[in-house]
Amino acid sequence: MLESVNLNVPGAAKAEPDVADVTDGAGSAKWDALSYSTKRHGASITDCDAEPVRTPGCIQAHGALLVLRLVDLSILQASENTHVILGLSPAELLGRSVAAVVKPEGQAQLRSILATEPTDRNPIYAFTLPEAEHIAELDVTLHTIDGVVLVEFEPVGRSQTGSSIAPIPLAPRAKPDYYGIIKKTVTRLPSVSTLQEFCQVLADEVSLLSGMDRVMIYKFHADFHGEVVAESLRVDLPPWLGLHYPAEDIPKPARDIFAKTWIRPVPNINGALAEMTPLVNPDTGKPVDMTHCALRGVSLLYTEYLQNMDVCAGLTMPLRRGSDLWGLIACHHYSGPREVPYQLRAACEFLAQVGSLQLQAVEDRENAAYRIKLEEVNQQLLTMAAQEGGLASMTDGQPSLLGAMRANGAALFHGGMWWRVGQTPSEIQLDALAAWLVGRLSMDSLSSPVYATQSLSMDYPPGAAFSNVASGVLAAPLSSSGQNLMMWFRPEVIQTIHWGGNPNDKPMVPSPYGLRRVPRRSFDRFTESVRQHAAPWLPVEIDAAAQLRTLIMELVIVRAERLADLNADLARSNEELDAFAYVASHDLKEPLRGIHKYAHQLLEAASGDDEEEMKRLTGLMRLTLRMDGLLDSLLHFSQVGRENLALEPVDLNDVLADAIEMVSSRTNDGQMQIAAPRLLPKIVCDRVRVREVLVNLLSNGLKYNDKADKRVEVGFIEPHEAQLRSGFPESVSGHTVYYVRDNGIGIAPRHFEQVFKMFKRLHGRDEYGGGTGAGLTIVRKLVERHHGQVWPESTGSEGSTFYFNLSAADES
Amino acid sequence: MKASMPASLSFSPDPSFAASLGASIIVVEDSDEDFDTLVEAAHGVGLKRVIQRALSGADCLGLLRGEGGEGGERSGAGRAAKAPMHVLPALIFMDLNSHGVDGREALVTIKNDPGLKKIPLVVLTTSSNPKDLTFCLQAGANAYHVKPVRYDHYQLLIRSILHYWLEIATTEKMKAGAN
Repeated sequence: MLESVNLNVPGAAKAEPDVADVTDGAGSAKWDALSYSTKRHGASITDCDAEPVRTPGCIQAHGALLVLRLVDLSILQASENTHVILGLSPAELLGRSVAAVVKPEGQAQLRSILATEPTDRNPIYAFTLPEAEHIAELDVTLHTIDGVVLVEFEPVGRSQTGSSIAPIPLAPRAKPDYYGIIKKTVTRLPSVSTLQEFCQVLADEVSLLSGMDRVMIYKFHADFHGEVVAESLRVDLPPWLGLHYPAEDIPKPARDIFAKTWIRPVPNINGALAEMTPLVNPDTGKPVDMTHCALRGVSLLYTEYLQNMDVCAGLTMPLRRGSDLWGLIACHHYSGPREVPYQLRAACEFLAQVGSLQLQAVEDRENAAYRIKLEEVNQQLLTMAAQEGGLASMTDGQPSLLGAMRANGAALFHGGMWWRVGQTPSEIQLDALAAWLVGRLSMDSLSSPVYATQSLSMDYPPGAAFSNVASGVLAAPLSSSGQNLMMWFRPEVIQTIHWGGNPNDKPMVPSPYGLRRVPRRSFDRFTESVRQHAAPWLPVEIDAAAQLRTLIMELVIVRAERLADLNADLARSNEELDAFAYVASHDLKEPLRGIHKYAHQLLEAASGDDEEEMKRLTGLMRLTLRMDGLLDSLLHFSQVGRENLALEPVDLNDVLADAIEMVSSRTNDGQMQIAAPRLLPKIVCDRVRVREVLVNLLSNGLKYNDKADKRVEVGFIEPHEAQLRSGFPESVSGHTVYYVRDNGIGIAPRHFEQVFKMFKRLHGRDEYGGGTGAGLTIVRKLVERHHGQVWPESTGSEGSTFYFNLSAADES
Repeated sequence: MKASMPASLSFSPDPSFAASLGASIIVVEDSDEDFDTLVEAAHGVGLKRVIQRALSGADCLGLLRGEGGEGGERSGAGRAAKAPMHVLPALIFMDLNSHGVDGREALVTIKNDPGLKKIPLVVLTTSSNPKDLTFCLQAGANAYHVKPVRYDHYQLLIRSILHYWLEIATTEKMKAGAN
């Protein structure tokens, strides 16, 4: 089924082109690139690249070829077998008008076609020459190339297999109705939904049309090795479905020809070749380009290849997707020569063209549902991420990155950590893989932002260690630096490839010109296991990854912009709040000072006789002072939340000593004792603020205390002292907890939350020494600034304990 | 709060209180109550000097340059001079938030004027904003005090300031054009 065979063998002896030809033996031993003939020089070829496939100088001898000068339709070259096919020898034809063969009417018809039809490199059926004495009925086709007209004469085929082929409505001297022949097929193709089904329909229809023993749909993989993906064959033949063939079986020159032509018939592999006479165009001195010739002489190596497979006749058509060669419809016949007449060939050719057009549609149909699902999940992922303000939902949410993608695991590196779902390599393995990917992606970023492999270990050898979960990797960077990544993983599938023959069987045979490479002769199934490979990523999956990447990056950029705006707003409103707090408190204080002053002066001026008046004026003064205190607290509280912490290593014993001194200076009554049962640790914290916490808690402990002997204890509980930590909130586990315990009046548990409320007092305004009621509110704020929390413990009657932790200190 | 001491002032064992007896003090204050409190405190310590009141920073500059305060009034013995002061005030009390921010502007202007900058200037304000404190000290204010609400505290503060700047601190002779 192959047009030529790649025989690239480094080190193999290369024949010189000027070596004498043995097949001919007669004289003209020399040939150059311009006067090659497969028939004469073929056996001297040792390298496929040297074989002029497009200008073989020969045709298949079952038909005849005339090369005409375009301007006057006179015969420049004729195949040497014209006397058999056309009844006139080349000598009788050369230099004469084509009318000598097709009569003046035929010549007129050829002229008309040349004038009206797109004949350049496009064979067009002209007419059928009627049967004459010793001459069969002949189909005449023509096309032009490089200023010459190639007229091909082929015997009109008779039904050779009879029953299996539908009667062909031949219409001599009319264009063949190949649409009528394949109408059923053409209408059937668009209805299939899977590529597999499509290929099978195509194989079955071509089999029915051509009557060939084996019809294969042969698909090229990315590395151009081929696979039989559908097959229709004579029941007694061994199936080749699922077999793979090495890329060398159909080398690039052969693939290139199928990018230009739609059909390649070889009705008799073992048939004779007829050489062109003369071998080159006398007008140009160049060989005629037979790329588009149905009769083009078969390459020597192709012949050998097919002979090795016991093929007697071949017919090959390309399947193209867009301009790319997707695969071939390859037909073999084993039971003897098989002439497929022009009309049938045209039908097959048309089928190949229709199939090519449909191929894209079928693949699209097959992918469309998957693509829609992938895009749908992409949108859901993005919506969740936008709502939750983070990418965590991509792995933890429903759906996750695995929602639509056919992968077993996914991982996301974002915000300095891995988010994983499904089966993935370990974080340590991911770290190393990500580091490698960053370099790899930055190199590739111009071509594609996505990295996809089905065999990671081929690109990244350490990947072999986790090939069981991640042989297949699809990765997309989520930031321009590439530091943030999104990845999907596919496990290793120990792929079993069934080769049509050992791909490494490339025998060499001795020839008079040295070792000669011949096509593979073994076509028995050869099984090879491919390890560390996963199922390949489909284009639709790679597209979806790229799409999601773009969506996320847009989201991240939008969020960053929004965050910047918010930060600016926040900074502005903080400043405004700051200014407001000062202005408000000052503007309130000015009249307050005045009221206080007048009350003071009135009190001084009062006679002292009117007790009521004295009492009212004293009350007025006390109230102004209280309001002054409230304003100060409010102002202080507004600052506590906003100013940055000044974290530094601090010896808490020093801080406690300072706090005790400050508290003592304010407290003047009774016995009091502040004790720390063991030395406090040194931690990293904001010294001034922690001192304020202690001052507030200490003074509360002393203030709300009706004992004659007031005692306050300051201590800490370490994370491992579990027996002391019962009832502690879970969030402080692992953190040192500090406490201030007093023997005061206690707090009823129902008031635990109220004590932290701004200006909320549980007692009468002037009981327990008064106070603004902001102390614990500020304590809580300061502790929270240290990422900690504070909570009370008390039976409600005797003593209370305030616990707090300073997580910021532990984290430093 | 610490008052920064201008470099031009130096301590002397022999205070020149008597030599500058004639010099007035200027009080920039828009609150009548606060101004009265100040005057009362001044009288309480027996201050004999003229107390000139300016309602705003602009008024204060007017007084210093002899343009007469628009809303300026004199308390005590004399009347406001219409000509540039021959004898500069011994002390300026400056309220920051008199009207708008011009207390701060007046402060900057005075401390950038080679002829006026030697006058001790004490900021007396309601503002406890650290930004105000920093601004004033950097602009050259000689001291910064927050007005207490308590009348007796306020009185005590004024007396202390007067006592310090007029009796303890050694200042340059307050003759206009002395330099």
